[in-house]
Amino acid sequence: MQKVLVCYFCCFFSLSVIAQNADSTWFVNNYTKKEIYIPMRDGIKLFTSFYIPKDQTEKHPFLITRTPYSCAPYGTDKYVPLWYSYKMAYAHENYIFVLQDVRGRYMSEGVFEDVRPFNKNKKGKQIDEASDTYDALDWMVKNIPNNNGNAGVFGTSYPGFYSTEAALSGHPALKAVSPQAPVTDWFIGDDFHHKGVFFAMDGFSFYPTFGKPHPVPTKDYGEGFSSPIKDNYKFYLAAGALKNLDSMIGDSIKFWHEMNQHPNYDAWWQARNARVGLYNVKPAMLWVGGLFDAEDCYGAWNSFKATDKQSPQTNNKIVMGPWYHGQWSREGSYLGNVRFESNTSDYFQKNLEIPFFNYYLKGKGSVQDISKATIFFTGENKWRKLDHWPAANVKEEKLYISADNKLLLDESAGQVADPGKISAISFAEYISDPSKPVPYTEDVHDQRTREYMTDDQRFASRRPDVLTFEMGILKEDITVAGPVIANLLTSITTTDADFVIKLIDVFPDDFTYPAGSLNNAKDYPMGGYQMLVRGEIMRGKFRNSFEKPEPFTPGKPALVKFELPDIAHTFKKGHRMMIQVQSTWFPLADRNPQKFTDIYKANDSDFQKANIRIYTGVNGSFFTLPVIK
Amino acid sequence: MKSLITFLAILLCMTSFGQVQNNFVKENFNKTDTLIGMRDGVKLYTVIYTPRTMTGKMAILLERTPYSAGPYGDTNYARRVGPNPTLSKEPYIFVYQDVRGRYMSEGTNLEVTPNLANKKTKKDVDESSDTYDTVDWLTKNLKNNNGRVGIYGISYPGFYATASLPGAHPAIKAVSPQAPVTDEFVGDDANHNGAFFLMDNFDFMNYFGKPRSGPIKDYGDQVFNADRKNAYDFFLKLGPISNSQSAQYFNHKSYIWDEYLQHDTYDSYWKARNIRPYLQNITIPTLVVGGWFDAEDLFGALNTYSSIEAHAKPNKNHLVMGPWTHGAWESSEWKQYASHDFGSNTSKYFQDSIEATFFDFYLRDKGTFTAAEATVFETGSNQWRSYNTWPPANVQAVTYYLGDKNMLASTQGASSGYDEYTSDPHKPVPYTNGIYASRNNDYMAEDQRFAAIRPDVLVYESLPLTADIRLAGKIIADLRVSMTGTDGDFIVKLIDVLPDDEPNFQNAPKGFQMAGYQRMVRAEVMRGKFRNSYEKPEPFIPGQVSTVKFNLNDVAHTFKKGHKIMIQVQSSWFPLVDLNPQKFMRIPEATERDFQTSTIRLYHGSNITLPVVN
Repeated sequence: MQKVLVCYFCCFFSLSVIAQNADSTWFVNNYTKKEIYIPMRDGIKLFTSFYIPKDQTEKHPFLITRTPYSCAPYGTDKYVPLWYSYKMAYAHENYIFVLQDVRGRYMSEGVFEDVRPFNKNKKGKQIDEASDTYDALDWMVKNIPNNNGNAGVFGTSYPGFYSTEAALSGHPALKAVSPQAPVTDWFIGDDFHHKGVFFAMDGFSFYPTFGKPHPVPTKDYGEGFSSPIKDNYKFYLAAGALKNLDSMIGDSIKFWHEMNQHPNYDAWWQARNARVGLYNVKPAMLWVGGLFDAEDCYGAWNSFKATDKQSPQTNNKIVMGPWYHGQWSREGSYLGNVRFESNTSDYFQKNLEIPFFNYYLKGKGSVQDISKATIFFTGENKWRKLDHWPAANVKEEKLYISADNKLLLDESAGQVADPGKISAISFAEYISDPSKPVPYTEDVHDQRTREYMTDDQRFASRRPDVLTFEMGILKEDITVAGPVIANLLTSITTTDADFVIKLIDVFPDDFTYPAGSLNNAKDYPMGGYQMLVRGEIMRGKFRNSFEKPEPFTPGKPALVKFELPDIAHTFKKGHRMMIQVQSTWFPLADRNPQKFTDIYKANDSDFQKANIRIYTGVNGSFFTLPVIK
Repeated sequence: MKSLITFLAILLCMTSFGQVQNNFVKENFNKTDTLIGMRDGVKLYTVIYTPRTMTGKMAILLERTPYSAGPYGDTNYARRVGPNPTLSKEPYIFVYQDVRGRYMSEGTNLEVTPNLANKKTKKDVDESSDTYDTVDWLTKNLKNNNGRVGIYGISYPGFYATASLPGAHPAIKAVSPQAPVTDEFVGDDANHNGAFFLMDNFDFMNYFGKPRSGPIKDYGDQVFNADRKNAYDFFLKLGPISNSQSAQYFNHKSYIWDEYLQHDTYDSYWKARNIRPYLQNITIPTLVVGGWFDAEDLFGALNTYSSIEAHAKPNKNHLVMGPWTHGAWESSEWKQYASHDFGSNTSKYFQDSIEATFFDFYLRDKGTFTAAEATVFETGSNQWRSYNTWPPANVQAVTYYLGDKNMLASTQGASSGYDEYTSDPHKPVPYTNGIYASRNNDYMAEDQRFAAIRPDVLVYESLPLTADIRLAGKIIADLRVSMTGTDGDFIVKLIDVLPDDEPNFQNAPKGFQMAGYQRMVRAEVMRGKFRNSYEKPEPFIPGQVSTVKFNLNDVAHTFKKGHKIMIQVQSSWFPLVDLNPQKFMRIPEATERDFQTSTIRLYHGSNITLPVVN
């Protein structure tokens, strides 16, 4: 999420130093900017920037983004640099652009609340983000001249969350919403926690700035925390237990401390799950996300699924591309060393997003070509249009681990992992040492990389604390569409542990991409590349319930079952499938002390080594793969 | 010795550098190919470049090589001649010779030909006698020679330069062994302290070990096709060394490879190939040259120098050690290496100010030769230093102890505890970070953070230094260990930890972080079973504490104020070094199931002694 913030600053900065282009001149000459405080039902006023076309030949729709990251630049003579973006296409269509600082952020009044819970029974002057959207939209439809009475909302990341909430406003003018990488559930899968594991690095690089108090409207929150150590693995290892980060961040960052006070998926977190409001959704929905979005991949998939389930009458669609967080608005031909062999972002903009808004807001064109699910399948590098997601023609295949640690795709071995049946079954074992955690990526970095989601995992395969299970060479393509479910049968020598599962595509030894396909200009050895297709972490104590953690009994086998976010990937003939298992993923995920305790309150002295066994064989661990037939 | 690729790279460099003088040799020299008869009748192929513009009597500069004296034929000229471009413009006769049994020479080649101290008949030949006979012929037969011969060579040719010294022909007046192959069991190329340098040996013998049936201009293809993308993976999958003799690989086609696998202790085979005992009373002026980052023959340079020095007083023996990889002193420019920026062109300085003046003075009476006893480039501070002795006299041995809480300190802590790791031969510690098809030549100064974060690497770090610490000389590691196996390797790495605010060097790659960089200064491996004797390996008794003490090659390095000194200890260094099965046995006979995991304890109080300049 912080990347978006950084990017916004970049754009703003480049605006002031780079000479304007033809589009910039056109935009400034053909649009008028207004800055207006719009009053909400409780009297609080929200700062709103309008970019209004001078064109009077027809009435125009609103395209709205509500943001906690500022609708800068401020000042009616300063224009947001739309001309660096594909969004310039909307300007040429004469949309009225609306940017609004959400309640309690930047120049808006009121009190900010992170992922403010949706209140489905609002009374009187009670507010939430849906009501703020309603009030703002109501005001602009009535007060901005020459509007056509239609409005759309879109936004990426945190603004994706505000897009989801906007869709719940129920305002009749709101016709189409596209939440993109929407922040959805910060305990289960987005940004700051995955399956209850704290993503300390992302949190700590975001909150020192974002979480500052906002006593009065401001254009600038000032500087955040600056670490003197530019190697984040070293910084977080030296920081030690999470409580030590608390003292570095100070007392004023309210939400950071609130997160620490809610170590389990309690009522507080459940209220902050954006899916709870996704009933009776009125506008047309186009959910957008990245298969390799390190921040909010979970949110895109699961908000779409929740809407399908909870609001079946909704015109509900999804687009998932091979993207990092927000990549669909930038170059989309590659991510890290992995190439997609076409500009997937351009495809999305021209064939999906722009036609979507043009149709619902301007009555222009058609949405017949926008399927229920438009999904880019990596590996085969093709868009597929599907009528269902997960795909209808999917068969659940099981992957087993043989006693000699080979990965087997075996339809006949249909047995179930059963802690009661482990006598005479085999296992693989490693020592997980929290003082030497497995890095989430190779090399030394200051910031969390976005490329780690497709990184070569050979650096990890070489470690003694990473189990590697590899399949033989595939004789035909295997296309996986949907979530992979891990059923780990494990025993540990302590009372808690984390489990990281990585599904990997091992490229052939002589693999090369076709000449001329756009790439990152690094001469990386792709032969034998171990491409991370999906990685996910599970905090063991939550294996039976996120609400009520349970310790492990040392030495006693237990089943740890969890779902990895959906994938869309074809393992090509000649490739191999690999699964890696490890118990740390540092400093992406905070370290488990490997002792059953409230980790936010753990001391440095609580961290201990654990021997981890993963049971193999037909009665042992397995993985369920949704394979397209 | 495994320098073919480096040589080629340097030659390419020279070529592009000297484009304007592409025909320099052809335009300025006459070339003659000839066969010179040795005392036993075997004829050695010899190529002679004589300057066209005769300026009186000229000295001869000779290089003897196993890598070909070619190009062959009177009309095919080399792109360059002589040790460096400055000397090639001086009036010298440059001579190249294929050594016995290689390329166009007759006879039988022996790996690092043993020196015969007592030659009884004309059949008793070695490199010393071959050089003698060659020099004798050259001084008697070449027109306009001044009766003085200089000999030089890098790597394997460095060995042949050294080998000219015992019983040298009186016309030999100056010899420069450069990165000379010296002891292939103890410290050069093939083995370090008895640990087998798997990747280098495998790749080199695939090329060098190819047999011939008689004189040949081109050995053609390698012994086998070793097309690979990922050396770590390749050698891990290859498994025990015995698998290298499969039909797919050596298959006993390389007699040297066979010899390597046969001789896994410091037996008479290897002892005969150690030239040092024969370097007695060498008073011929010698200039021994080596590189601090020479992955092949750093040991050879340092120990050839010290052997000559120890056994002849007075002598005219000099040492030059620069910040170089194997043979990099021959390149036209050497200012940077890995993350080092030396601030000056160190190779050009050596060529013009030391090497050229050495030969010019001793072979032509031109100018003066004023180089100090030891001319040494000090890394860390990036400056040349001159010393009257090597190591310098004012060096104090300071012991640093590996202690509790990963601390390195010059006082021994109270802890009698230990640190422990599990060494798993199926998941060995890589010697370099990343995916490489062949040896990463930067590994000797590489950032060791990739290793520090592994559970099977122990790390000990000092506090930030309050003043510069200058090192010059030998390092001694003295470890107290126990293990659950009966053998184990010990790799000790000396590392300079840069401060957390260290700026990146100019044009550093995107994302590169010099801040906190763990720059390797020196590292060495010891195969545990040789801890008491290279000749008679001894098993460890599981659980019993043993001392493993060994030398690391010399350094000249300043740890700057604010930096930290780090020691890392690990038990594999793959695939640089072959895997120890961690079971006491003849490793060339090990099979897959002999390789076992071992839990290794390193006891606090283990230490490393550093040569600190006062």
